[in-house]
Amino acid sequence: MSNGLKLGCAALALLLCSLLSLAVGATWIPLSQVAAAFVHPDASSISHVLVTSTRLSRTLMAIAVGASLAVAGALMQALTRNPLASPGLFGINAGASFFIILFSSVFSLSSADAWLWCAFIGAAVAGCLVWLIGNMGQGSLNPLRIVLAGAAIAALFSAFSQALLVVNQDGLDTVLFWLAGSLSERSLSVAAPLLVCSLFALLGTLLLAGQLNVLNAGEEIATGLGQRTGLIRIAMSVLIVCLAGSAVALAGSIGFVGLLVPHMVRKGLSIDHRWLLPGCALTGAVLLLLADTLARVVMLPQEVPVGVMTALFGAPFFIILARRGGRHG
Amino acid sequence: MKSEIRHQPSRRTLLRLSLGLLAFRLCTPAWAQPGAAPLRVITLFQGATDSAVALGVTPCGIVDSWSEKPTYRYLRTALEHVPHVGLETQPSLEDIVLLKPDVIIASRFRHQRIAPLLKQIAPVVMLDEVFEFKETLLQMGVALHRQQMAVALLEQWQRRVAQLRAQLQRTFAGHWPPTVAVLEIREDHVRSHLPASFAGSVLNELGFSWNVASQAASGASLKITSKESLPVVNADIFFVFMRADSQAVQQNYDSLLRHPLWQQMRAPQRQQVWQVDGVPWSMSGGIMGANLMLDDIARLAAADSIS
Repeated sequence: MSNGLKLGCAALALLLCSLLSLAVGATWIPLSQVAAAFVHPDASSISHVLVTSTRLSRTLMAIAVGASLAVAGALMQALTRNPLASPGLFGINAGASFFIILFSSVFSLSSADAWLWCAFIGAAVAGCLVWLIGNMGQGSLNPLRIVLAGAAIAALFSAFSQALLVVNQDGLDTVLFWLAGSLSERSLSVAAPLLVCSLFALLGTLLLAGQLNVLNAGEEIATGLGQRTGLIRIAMSVLIVCLAGSAVALAGSIGFVGLLVPHMVRKGLSIDHRWLLPGCALTGAVLLLLADTLARVVMLPQEVPVGVMTALFGAPFFIILARRGGRHG
Repeated sequence: MKSEIRHQPSRRTLLRLSLGLLAFRLCTPAWAQPGAAPLRVITLFQGATDSAVALGVTPCGIVDSWSEKPTYRYLRTALEHVPHVGLETQPSLEDIVLLKPDVIIASRFRHQRIAPLLKQIAPVVMLDEVFEFKETLLQMGVALHRQQMAVALLEQWQRRVAQLRAQLQRTFAGHWPPTVAVLEIREDHVRSHLPASFAGSVLNELGFSWNVASQAASGASLKITSKESLPVVNADIFFVFMRADSQAVQQNYDSLLRHPLWQQMRAPQRQQVWQVDGVPWSMSGGIMGANLMLDDIARLAAADSIS
């Protein structure tokens, strides 16, 4: 099967999963009703209102978050040359969680809209810190130092978070569900700016794909070919912070998608970043949509945090992948 | 050598006996004249603090309340200047030792793991749960030598419940028993308190019934994250309270009120949504809190007859 065909299949799967996500929930809404809700919406029909309000925003967010996380993971693995790298390694999840806990407990900021921006700023701050520390010292960026700086910053921020939670126990309950990752009850109007941000970042990474291939050939070859490696790396880092930051702000910390999807796509599609990155975006979106749809119905009327769901599926898959000894790009 | 070995046990026995007698003599007056030498009691959960006040005992140490910190408003006058020994989930053992209590009231649910340490400090009364207010009251009555008072309080409670039930039956004539739901609004979700919760047990006693989903669910509460699941709490009467006095909670409640599924449910349609105070309904866990709940329900019973 050619790569183009495979991408086409992934796009088709994404479409089917989106329809499924619109139809499945506490009550099953038939596909004809889903279609009618978009074609000629009827404000008095409850199923129409459900589809166009809660389920549509949820579906769009799952697509954006899944795609962002997977692409950010692929970029992270290319940047650090570490097959185990994921957006979390940039300290982004820890930074976002810390900022939310800090602002909700110390400044008693408790509206969901404000949290969104807290999380994004936290992610950006952590990302910048990791970048600065990784870049300090001997001039050029050292992938190993980035990994170490990321681990240190992540540990630092989690320690701060835990200290705050010990002092303020009430905050824990509310923050807990967010920490585990959830896509429910976020309004589209609040999330719109971040959705746009991640969309632009996704387009940006596609433009960068060719350069990534050159960079992956090795520092010396890339420089020899006339690439300004420092600039490319800065661009990659900014994109990672935008993608993973908006993902974590929208949905909390969702593990495994950023780590796993690039490996899946590398095995199934290509290690060429021009194919890999769009493949990651589509596969990540499909995976998170499926996980979220399942999380909604597996324990009705309650919900499982979607982060738990992805870990549940991701971990066994990852073990299989490791046992087969996949080659990492 | 041999004779000494033979003597030692007898000396020990003597010592034990005298210590036992001493203890007996120290304890006897307390049994004989309750209240003569007030017991120093530390209560390690909200329901125990509530019950102590109900029994007319001022504890020498209490734990922080869940909301209205540091002490619930309805207990504040009774518990002024009483030192705090930390949180219900992590009381400070050092503070407890320094207060030299005669008895500690704790619960297995919260304090199972520190029970051995607590027992070294003072005799411990261990309740199984934190919200079984009758059991808490009875056992504390025994421990604090106020058994009669505890029984009297429970009799008074039974009378009040019977009276209120009769009144409710008149109000809901023809529709008795109506189904109820107890909804706690939080920042990002709604908790539905089930029949096995504190509020649920009081409503059960009054004879209210529950919808099928609530009867089938296990545990004390149901977490409703997605508003799409709201129909599982559908009932004739809603008792609603806010988790905290914050803007985000209010916003969540407002968006709930606007939601088409909310407007379709029976209680909102019949204007039977009663806003109540969350402290007695979910966080007190004691006989005084339960009585405050009855006050709220009496409002409902006093309302015009329901069509």
